[in-house]
Amino acid sequence: MSTAQHVQHSPLRIFLKTIAARAYPRVMAANRQKTWVFFDMAFPMVGALAMVLVYQGLHAPRQYLGFVVMGGAMLAFWQNVLWSMAAQFSWDRGNGTLELYVISPTTFEGVLLGMALGSMFTVTLRAGAILLLGSLLFGITYTAAGTLPAIGVFLLTLAALYCLGMLLASLFLFYGREAWHLSNAMQEPINFLSGLYFPVNALGAYVGGAASLVPMTLGLDAMRQLLLPGTPVFIPAGTEALLVAVQIPVFAVLAGISLRYMEIRARRDGKLVTRWE
Amino acid sequence: MARTHHPSSDTSRLAVETRRLTRVYKTRRELTTALQDVDLEVGEGELFGVLGPNGAGKTTLIKILVTLLLPTSGQAFVDGLDVVTDYKRLRSRIGMVSGGEQAGYGILKVREQLWMFSQFYGMDSTAARKRIDELLERLGLSDAANKQITGLSSGMRQKMNLVRGLMTDPRVLFLDEPTVALDVSAARDVRSEVRRWMREDPTRTVILTTHYMQEADELCDRVAIVNRGRIVAEGTPRALKQSVDDDVIVDLQLDPGTPVLDRLRAIEGVGAASVREEDGVDRFSLMLADDGVLPRVMTTVEGAGRHVSGLVRRQPTLEDAFVKLVGRSMTEEEA
Amino acid sequence: MGVAITRQWTGYAAAVRLGWAVSSNWTRPILFIVYSVLRPVSMALILAVMYTVITGNAAATRPYLAFLIVGTAFWSFIQEGVSEFATGILEDRGRYHILKYSYMAPLGFPIFLIGRATSKLASAAASVVIVLLVGTLALHLDISPLRVDYPLLVAACLLAFVSVIAFAITLSMVLLAGRDLHGYGEIMAQFLYLFSGAIFPISVLPGPIAWLASLSPLPYWLELCRRAIMHGQAYLMFPNLSDGEVFLRLVAATAGTLLLGYVLYRMADRRARRLGYIDMEANW
Ligand SMILES: Nc1ncnc2c1ncn2[C@@H]1O[C@H](COP(=O)(O)OP(=O)(O)OP(=O)(O)O)[C@@H](O)[C@H]1O
Ligand SMILES: [Mg+2]
Repeated sequence: MSTAQHVQHSPLRIFLKTIAARAYPRVMAANRQKTWVFFDMAFPMVGALAMVLVYQGLHAPRQYLGFVVMGGAMLAFWQNVLWSMAAQFSWDRGNGTLELYVISPTTFEGVLLGMALGSMFTVTLRAGAILLLGSLLFGITYTAAGTLPAIGVFLLTLAALYCLGMLLASLFLFYGREAWHLSNAMQEPINFLSGLYFPVNALGAYVGGAASLVPMTLGLDAMRQLLLPGTPVFIPAGTEALLVAVQIPVFAVLAGISLRYMEIRARRDGKLVTRWE
Repeated sequence: MARTHHPSSDTSRLAVETRRLTRVYKTRRELTTALQDVDLEVGEGELFGVLGPNGAGKTTLIKILVTLLLPTSGQAFVDGLDVVTDYKRLRSRIGMVSGGEQAGYGILKVREQLWMFSQFYGMDSTAARKRIDELLERLGLSDAANKQITGLSSGMRQKMNLVRGLMTDPRVLFLDEPTVALDVSAARDVRSEVRRWMREDPTRTVILTTHYMQEADELCDRVAIVNRGRIVAEGTPRALKQSVDDDVIVDLQLDPGTPVLDRLRAIEGVGAASVREEDGVDRFSLMLADDGVLPRVMTTVEGAGRHVSGLVRRQPTLEDAFVKLVGRSMTEEEA
Repeated sequence: MGVAITRQWTGYAAAVRLGWAVSSNWTRPILFIVYSVLRPVSMALILAVMYTVITGNAAATRPYLAFLIVGTAFWSFIQEGVSEFATGILEDRGRYHILKYSYMAPLGFPIFLIGRATSKLASAAASVVIVLLVGTLALHLDISPLRVDYPLLVAACLLAFVSVIAFAITLSMVLLAGRDLHGYGEIMAQFLYLFSGAIFPISVLPGPIAWLASLSPLPYWLELCRRAIMHGQAYLMFPNLSDGEVFLRLVAATAGTLLLGYVLYRMADRRARRLGYIDMEANW
């Protein structure tokens, strides 16, 4: 009898290939369902518009409209983290795809990054549309000099958000449907705490400080300081950027630990097995 | 616990081994023992069938072996690796396909979806595509290769899932009811493809669960019969059939009337009895200790006012062995 | 005839219970906190902070805060009745694969949907009360349960519920007639936000959109809610109209919504059946 040696590919190779492969259906979805892309953009747009109108109803100075427009653009990414990344495992479990991820030699990190990157195009489109249309429609002016640093802060924030998304996804491994409620709980309350629609310093040091656990809070505030003249300073932008940068490895490591731990727990309690809850 | 296999020297190398494998599910209300002290040895290159009624624990066994579930106690090794401690290394060597599974993303086309899964195993894209096309062709799915998954019939979908299991060339492939709900010809395609795939490399092993006696009989080298979480018999289909060789197997056909199954079972010398309804008549399958029991059976039937419309003596099947061991037929509800 | 009605009533009651059971979540404290407390209260707080940073909470502007809080409180009915409802229906299809059974059930799909929507509205009532409570205790709005004009409030809400249910059912049928559309329920609720006068007066909207909004029953309903609860201490969108006039407009707009909803439902139902979308699965 021959003893065929099984090919074992390197973890890095599998990781990279997984990212590309998991991104693929997301890209295809955007491609094959163009109407969806339109509506997908409409949602945050309408939300931001409603908030702009609230300020208009209050006869607020124009710079506040800028806060909303930037917040609305950021919200697009946060929504993506919550629903298209963290909560996706709940869907994947429902139809048995999660089982296939688990029994394959790939890692959850690869799968999650693939999801994130795969929807990056549509999300960026969405955020960009809000920023562009909102700015033109409401005549918002930005500090040109702040653009580059703001982009830098944005990228840091994004990285931290997606690491946080992985951490949240680990909850979905174990809690499934219940974690869904957590994602829901992280919508309006986080919109409130992170100062999506108003400068976060309005919340005061304690609430704002607690809210800073979500990278969006500090990242958004830093970007506003850099781009919108007259933003009330919560913490100086540079410090905020630094804090966000620190959050990246912290969330990444926590996510890795949590994914491993939750997988073991889920295997023990039979939670990876497909069951319609 | 250290257990070492010697892959190169040992020709009877084990693909799967379990020791007192037990799994208890805890739900809010109760504890369910899905597997109890299961000892199993499957040799490399074997096509091993796990046969059992609904809820017997077949799927649970598979899920433990593919690292989706942890055992509550006991041990399991696949391809020499412990499913609990060595699961990471194990995962590149196994595959699993379940009948009726809906995994994947409906937006993708068949070929794309299969490619996607191949990447999770690190396969080279070009090689994967070639392999996928080859397997699709063999299963008669070439025409559907560019169809979106949402547009597949469930039979096509099941075949596609099988391709997914085969394409990564796992050392041990687990098939959980791979032909469930397939029509006769599709089921035949699936079985012959599994056989052919195993011939490609004689060290490949397949563990398959099924409800279909005939499938187990025709396809499997060896079969384990599982009931309520325990293995009640194990052996080649032929050996299992031989266990009922001494019995007289009779098929008895009755027109509708008062139920008699329990009365038949109560007759001395009736080893096992099962019934299924077909075309408005009751078909009983009886296992008698010897020919002398038959008159007593007839008396009982007539006593119940039932009319006999057919009676044949026939060769034992795996089903008969099953009924004898489990006490009821596969399709019958537990009392 | 009588038998048919009895049967429909039984079916309706069953659907209400089913809806309640599916979201039986509402009896679990953690979920109650998330959906009936955290989400609506956060929205109210967002508005309160926005109001405060602009007005500094000046006494003269307090009626505007009342306008915002009452509007967002009653918004829960729409959030639940439209968005959560549509999401539930799409989940029945996409996640649980059970929608086809409800669709084929003898009691009739519309009755099933109406029942489901009713249970959603019932569960929204809690959030309305909670947000008003927060408004009273934390934001010091002058709300007293003893001084509410209940006949006006109840009459306005009943009419609004008819509209909301009609809208929700039409929407979910339209969504079912499309392919992968989860999340759209939320989008539609957001669109209604714009037209409802819940968190800004519809006069803020650009001309043509303001006109469209004035055809919707929602602004009249919310106006009546504010009048019934705040009696004059809330900013009014239609200060020149009497309660009766606002109510008449609500009636007219409700009738229009029903008619439009019926036509759209028929169209969508036909399309969904033609394309076989009732039992479709969706995921990527
Ligand atoms: N995740 C779970 N949680 C609780 N109990 C479970 C779970 N999965 C299976 N069970 C229970 O364990 C027992 C064995 O189930 P299992 O799915 O392994 O049986 P099976 O032989 O595959 O049955 P079938 O032929 O119906 O597929 C059953 O009683 C079942 O109800
Ligand atoms: Mg099973």
